[in-house]
Amino acid sequence: MDFMTALDIGASGLKAQRATLNVISMNMANIRTTKTLEGGPYQRKSVSFESSPVYSPFDEAMNEQLNRDLHGVKVLGVTADQRPFKQVYEPHHPDANELGYVYYPDINVVEEMTYMMNATRGYEANVQTIESVKQMFNKALQIGV
Amino acid sequence: MKGLFGNHIHLTSKVLDMRLERQNIVTGNIANVDTPDYKARRLEFEDKLQQALNLDARGKMTRTQQNHLPAVFNADGFKGDGLKEFKPRHVYGEDSVDMDKEMAIMSKNGLMYNALASVIKKNFEGLQKVISEGGK
Repeated sequence: MDFMTALDIGASGLKAQRATLNVISMNMANIRTTKTLEGGPYQRKSVSFESSPVYSPFDEAMNEQLNRDLHGVKVLGVTADQRPFKQVYEPHHPDANELGYVYYPDINVVEEMTYMMNATRGYEANVQTIESVKQMFNKALQIGV
Repeated sequence: MKGLFGNHIHLTSKVLDMRLERQNIVTGNIANVDTPDYKARRLEFEDKLQQALNLDARGKMTRTQQNHLPAVFNADGFKGDGLKEFKPRHVYGEDSVDMDKEMAIMSKNGLMYNALASVIKKNFEGLQKVISEGGK
């Protein structure tokens, strides 16, 4: 039970939202990418989160029950979206197949923008929590001054 | 020391602890806003604290023998209950934390914490005043 726990949890939230934002910008940047290192067009990526306990060894030794319920967030990994590619008839494109079709990643800009707004708001909320903990910390420091 | 610092200072500091713990839990909820299947956690202590304090309200507790002393509330042993909301809310499979609720809880909690810290501060200031004025 201390202030740094709240800051750690807030930081884990910031980190997670930033990771989401990175992946979303990657999706947006690669919206018309037809060639990747793995071969084939770019596949849309998404991030998966997992809540992770912040039970410190000290709390464990002190058998602190309340802190057992505290959870930060962890980025589990980046997964490729399995949705099918978009087929566009472009016979002059260098990556066109013998029928003249080019495969593009199926990325919806509106969808990505909503995810982006979601991540931004989540980030802002985490900043607010950190801000509020800092205020509390300062207030506690003033006791007895 | 009881003469110098009243019991209420212990009580206030305990409530400050509880509020900090609540802040930790709310921060955890907000950090996990996009985590699928995360269940929002809560810390409840107000009712329990009121009950515990009522034990101390002389006369309110039923005593079978008038000679029995009423139990005196001890702030040190007091603990809150960590609650979990067992039904996560699923909106398209990934919205389980109610952000409005969490932010409201957080700001209420922060305000109360700051207010209580001011209360403790004023306590000490009052004590200081008594000491310095008494010396004149």
